[in-house]
Amino acid sequence: MDILLLLESALNGALVGLMYSLVAMGIVLIYKSSSVPNLAQGAMVMLAGYVILAFANQLHLPIWAAIPLGIVTMFVIGIGIERVALRRLAGRPIIMILMMTLGIEIFLRAGSMTIWGGTSRPLPIGISDSPLFLGPLLINRAYAVGAGVAVVMFVLLVLFFRTRIGVVLRAISDDYTAAWSVGISVERGVALSWAISAVVATIAAVLWGSVQGVDQSLALLLLKGVTVAVLGGLDSIGGALLAGILLGIVEGTASVVLDPLLGGASRELVDAAMLILTIMLRPHGLFGRHDIERV
Amino acid sequence: MAAITEAKAGNILTLNNVEVVYDYVSLAIKGVSLAVPQGGMVALLGANGAGKSTTLKSISGLLAAERGEVRRGEVAFQGQPINALMPQDRVRLGIAHVLEGRRVFEHLTPDENLIAASAVRSRHDAARNKDRVYSYFPRLFERRGSAAGYLSGGEQQMLAIGRALMTQPKLLMLDEPSLGLAPFLVAEIFQILSRINREDGLSVLLVEQNAIAALEIVSHGYLIESGRIVMHDTAEALKRNPDIQEFYLGGAENKNFRDIKHYRRRKRWLT
Amino acid sequence: MLFRQAGILHTNYAQDRALFPIPADRWMIGGLLLLAATAPLYLNSLYLSSYLLPWLVWTAAALGLNLILGWAGQFHLGYAAVMGIGAYAAVHAQRAGVPWEIAIVLAGLTAAVIGSVFAFAALRVKGLYLALSTLALQFVMDWTISHVPAISGGTQATLQAPDIRLLGQAVTSDAGLYYVALVWCVLVTTFMLNLRRTALGRALVAVREKDYAAAVIGVNSFYFKLVAFATSSFIAGVSGAVLIGTFYHAVTPEQFSVDVSIQALAMVIVGGLGSIIGSYFGAGFILLMPGAMNSFISWLTGLFGFSLGIETLAHLPHALYGALIIGFLLLEPLGLGKIYGNVRDYLLVWPFGYVKK
Repeated sequence: MDILLLLESALNGALVGLMYSLVAMGIVLIYKSSSVPNLAQGAMVMLAGYVILAFANQLHLPIWAAIPLGIVTMFVIGIGIERVALRRLAGRPIIMILMMTLGIEIFLRAGSMTIWGGTSRPLPIGISDSPLFLGPLLINRAYAVGAGVAVVMFVLLVLFFRTRIGVVLRAISDDYTAAWSVGISVERGVALSWAISAVVATIAAVLWGSVQGVDQSLALLLLKGVTVAVLGGLDSIGGALLAGILLGIVEGTASVVLDPLLGGASRELVDAAMLILTIMLRPHGLFGRHDIERV
Repeated sequence: MAAITEAKAGNILTLNNVEVVYDYVSLAIKGVSLAVPQGGMVALLGANGAGKSTTLKSISGLLAAERGEVRRGEVAFQGQPINALMPQDRVRLGIAHVLEGRRVFEHLTPDENLIAASAVRSRHDAARNKDRVYSYFPRLFERRGSAAGYLSGGEQQMLAIGRALMTQPKLLMLDEPSLGLAPFLVAEIFQILSRINREDGLSVLLVEQNAIAALEIVSHGYLIESGRIVMHDTAEALKRNPDIQEFYLGGAENKNFRDIKHYRRRKRWLT
Repeated sequence: MLFRQAGILHTNYAQDRALFPIPADRWMIGGLLLLAATAPLYLNSLYLSSYLLPWLVWTAAALGLNLILGWAGQFHLGYAAVMGIGAYAAVHAQRAGVPWEIAIVLAGLTAAVIGSVFAFAALRVKGLYLALSTLALQFVMDWTISHVPAISGGTQATLQAPDIRLLGQAVTSDAGLYYVALVWCVLVTTFMLNLRRTALGRALVAVREKDYAAAVIGVNSFYFKLVAFATSSFIAGVSGAVLIGTFYHAVTPEQFSVDVSIQALAMVIVGGLGSIIGSYFGAGFILLMPGAMNSFISWLTGLFGFSLGIETLAHLPHALYGALIIGFLLLEPLGLGKIYGNVRDYLLVWPFGYVKK
């Protein structure tokens, strides 16, 4: 086995993993505030990609203007989803809530393809294709930028949770009855977490869209996002960051080792295996804190 | 209960024949009427499951979180009916509810607990209120940086009360603040409560099973049983009442079942 | 409804516990069965083989999922994979020369054995975590089916299914295939109807409501969850095999992808958790909806004289399908079965609406 190749895959894998973390952070944000596992996060990333493209291509705006507009739009859409679909389901069995997020997933995915069509479109944000060199190792420039943005996003979120509004959101996730008793509007807090999550999805859409184009496959990031979120512990943003790196490294090295053996496409298998192993062995993930319902 | 209606003008809170149902079917309190005078301190006593907590939740509006609703009767705060208001609007009016079992935000520090509780007040007020809370509970100030989940039971109760004070209440409702605390801590907390009541003119509605401690600091008390108010009197009179002594103050000795039945019969007269 | 319950008095427990305690109900079921049995006489083969047949098979499958979801209360996001296991097992057995009657039993058993893997996940975790682990298992099975040539049948990944042979007779006519599907659906329905009246059914409901409370009263939730998953997987496996044998005639991995799992889930939710008649409604609704939507959209575009792109037309029914799931969960979480029940209860006492049933 070529050790350099392995190292290179691990390094690039870690960077990709950080980009998965962006999807996972969105899931964690919503789960933290309302214990809703958002299986529509991948579809939200996809929708965000199409929204930005709509601003850039149909309204002919430069990309640096389309992205902020996309963020604002998704912020509103995030609030809307919570208000219309999730608020009335509060307190219902988890089966209903999961099915609702699946319904939203289908609706957003098929809805954006209804409006904009299913062909893959590029979303250029001006990152050159030439790789970076780290000694003898080749590093994908887009991945490096994506990983950097993910880390910045993480820092911003951590800072946000220190602000007054952020503290209120954390209070809601701790004990929503107590939050209610001191006059916190829990519904508005949850809506805000959906909005922020939609914004994080938009950032993920820009990065992933620039890497692989905007199409239906962006919605498939859900599996990666869920795996990372569960591995990190569903309510830990820091966990999502580290679990992303971990999953990325495992994926990267596994694809080098396993692909020749299994005939390719071992990444999906590794993801699913990681997810199952995490749930079976350590369901609260690496850094999760909630006692989960065990049988 | 003529005293209540006479003093209506000076009451900050009145409940008139309030009935609460959970899940549309189970009747938890059946026509509770009570009043808290402006600046007064009133206790609501009763055994487990008598409807004390439900009464408080009907006032603070937290019933909705448990699929409960006020089906009949009126809750009035400062003369205005508040039945239709959301919990946060009631907090804004000045009703604070300290939940049973403390329920601090465990993963937040005491400082953050207090900040989170100032959501309905301005940033400026929050800073001032926080100083005030720390002056009442200096121990919280010492521990302001560590996660609230690691505080002792007494400190958590202080934090829960401090958190309620952050909302600048006019009426403070406490649900069993003595639960699971050592007697000296109960005494300390109750002393602080009466100090706040004296100094700031804050009205207090205290729900307790620990009748001895509660009757020491309140002026009036209500006794609730099976969802009904069965007795209302001054604290002094309640302490002297033989039934109260027997069943709530632990004075009962050598009583057999026949006497209890006798008490039940007598109680029906009171209702 | 067409009848009143007045005057129907049961004089022993057997009467009271009958599947259909009301004579009018029995007449209606008999009538429906007669209608179904004679369908090939009055329906053209297009309706028979492309609407009625898949509806019956999918109803059987949805009933199997309802056993897990509605009765045992366990989430299952990998149901299509289990159906796929049955389908592939049956096709491979048939190609190896096993008669079809035995092949579908083998399919059911294989699915039951492998499907019980899901049960082991359910024995450790529940709720969200169970949903996610079954989702992951779906991906693992998808991957295995499509990446192992011995299963998928090579690179083109489509495996022709041999014709169904029952007792040595080839069944190829539309009517014949329809009867196969009808018999399977009636069998599963009868099983599910009876399940309600057995200790197993009651134990499953007890486990659903609160598993440790069930354990306290002596219900071994461990065992019953396993039984529930195995039974449901058996139904799924046979349904998958019947679906391939009577409808698709060839098997590919995409027929049993995660989207199909979600579709099966949607059938149960839209139909109503734990409702048998609901599974009929739900399967019919989800299967027929895209076609109905397509006709509706083309009618609308014709009416207003505008045209939609091909891509829009292709994806719009799918979007509406998502919207319908959302709508059902918001407006009637108990699904079509509950709506049917409401209408029935209302009509039972109509026009004396103040009479409580």
